[in-house]
Amino acid sequence: MSDTAKTLVQIVLALAVAVAAAIGLPQVLELFALINATVFVSMALLALSLALVWGFGGILCFGQTAFFGLGGYAYAIAAINFGDTTGAVPLALAVPTAFAAALGYLMFYGRISDVYMGVITLTMTLILFKFANSTAGDQWIIGTAPLGGFNGIPSTPPFNMPFAPDQPLDPGQVFVVAIAALVSCYVIAKLLLRTRFGRVAVAIRENELRAELLGYDVRLHKLLLFSVGGLFAGLAGVLFANCVFVSPTMFSLFYAGQVIIWVLVGGLGTLVGPVIGCILVQWLTTIAGSLPHVDANLFLGLVLMVAVVLIPRGLLPTARSMLARLTGRAP
Amino acid sequence: MALLATERLTMRFGGVVAVDDVSLAIAPGELRCLIGPNGAGKSTFFKCLTGQLTPTSGRIFWRGRDITGFDAFAVARLGIGIKTQVPSLFDGLTVAESVALGVRRLRGERESRRLADQAMERLSIAPLARIRVGLLAHGQRQLVELAMVVAPEPDLIILDEPTAGMSGEETTRTAGLIRELNERHAIVVVEHDMQFIRSIATRVTVFHQGRVLLDDSADRVFADPRVRDVYLGRAAA
Repeated sequence: MSDTAKTLVQIVLALAVAVAAAIGLPQVLELFALINATVFVSMALLALSLALVWGFGGILCFGQTAFFGLGGYAYAIAAINFGDTTGAVPLALAVPTAFAAALGYLMFYGRISDVYMGVITLTMTLILFKFANSTAGDQWIIGTAPLGGFNGIPSTPPFNMPFAPDQPLDPGQVFVVAIAALVSCYVIAKLLLRTRFGRVAVAIRENELRAELLGYDVRLHKLLLFSVGGLFAGLAGVLFANCVFVSPTMFSLFYAGQVIIWVLVGGLGTLVGPVIGCILVQWLTTIAGSLPHVDANLFLGLVLMVAVVLIPRGLLPTARSMLARLTGRAP
Repeated sequence: MALLATERLTMRFGGVVAVDDVSLAIAPGELRCLIGPNGAGKSTFFKCLTGQLTPTSGRIFWRGRDITGFDAFAVARLGIGIKTQVPSLFDGLTVAESVALGVRRLRGERESRRLADQAMERLSIAPLARIRVGLLAHGQRQLVELAMVVAPEPDLIILDEPTAGMSGEETTRTAGLIRELNERHAIVVVEHDMQFIRSIATRVTVFHQGRVLLDDSADRVFADPRVRDVYLGRAAA
């Protein structure tokens, strides 16, 4: 099968799964479970954003949650001020994208090496975490939206129908929007990687110097990919704000570390793997959290250790290899 | 007009002068060898030419245009193919994908594939097209890198120690290949293997302690006692 045909099949499969989930799950899940499922989907989109940036661009961004939180906060502040989420969404996507572009510019054009990039991005999300935590009080109100410090913005408005603020979406509809957003970002990422830009990004991950010596502007390619990752993570933040609420936790080390775990468990260098990894780990953590005498964080650490030892390449690449061995084809 | 020229090029690292006041010019179609013992400044000079290092002082010209301080990608875009000493490759991609990337910047996908096929044929690596580069032997990796460099038909190819790590037979084959490539491209070879240089050289520039010790025809350079001295470790005259 040619690469183009393979991409098409993968896209059709993803669309089919998304349609089935969007139609089926709201029928069978109760309200709380459906909201929880929407949280999982928003997290899966966050995992997808890192899968693209790290797995295909080779950029270890330890602070993908910075864009996630910025998307959520920008959405909440804009939606409260506008009284309508129609304009809030594009604004909420523009803020993390612009922030990623500015941060990326400083890092890539400043020739910061990979390890330091991890440190800088992690520091950035922790600075935002600290800052968001310190915004309690009347002096931290933007327009009519109080930032709320540690408590965040509990009254985050849910999506409404376009230009109809009096018609908010119910949790079932928000879930469908979340699924549509996730699958759209997957298709965009898949198609992006098929373009010349995407192939060069992968080449840069493989060998930055060689890509440069072939005449490709490595810094520009990395910057664009990093910004797209910021956009996806920002969208994940918007979805998260719709089913939970906006708070400094979105920037926290807890989430920043989890995204890395989701990608590693699912399989670095794939797009679907981290999405599966995220949903699986979240689901297991939720179950573990509901059990007495089980610490969810310890459980998460155990999952990572087991994954690194038993399936170092991640779930999806391992499953592919096993399938290839069973069918007698080269992986 | 010279294709590539340097004017009093100097590169210092703190108190160490790695390249010292070097002026030379490469003519279109020329095959020039830059030789010298280890630590002579050849590789630093190579990195300055290819934009990997910005010289401390002096100028670099491409067809008369000042390109000093250009980034490596901008230097490559001028039409300069660059091969590094240790093969610099995309290990996770196939040979065909890698070679096609050499031209993809300039051409559409189909045309890139066609030119990549041509380059692989020229270098006799077409049977390896679908193999991942990371699985290849050292000699094959050298050829893949050369195919990537040659595929976009650059005006000038700069090769840094192209026979490093090669067997005697592979070295002989590479010498033939370089002579063949020189029919279509100007070539600068940075090497310290005198035997190899003897088999390909027409004009040789000898580096010693960051300076140009000698710049002459191959026969005269090899007959010069100063060259023997620097290679044997005795002080230059």
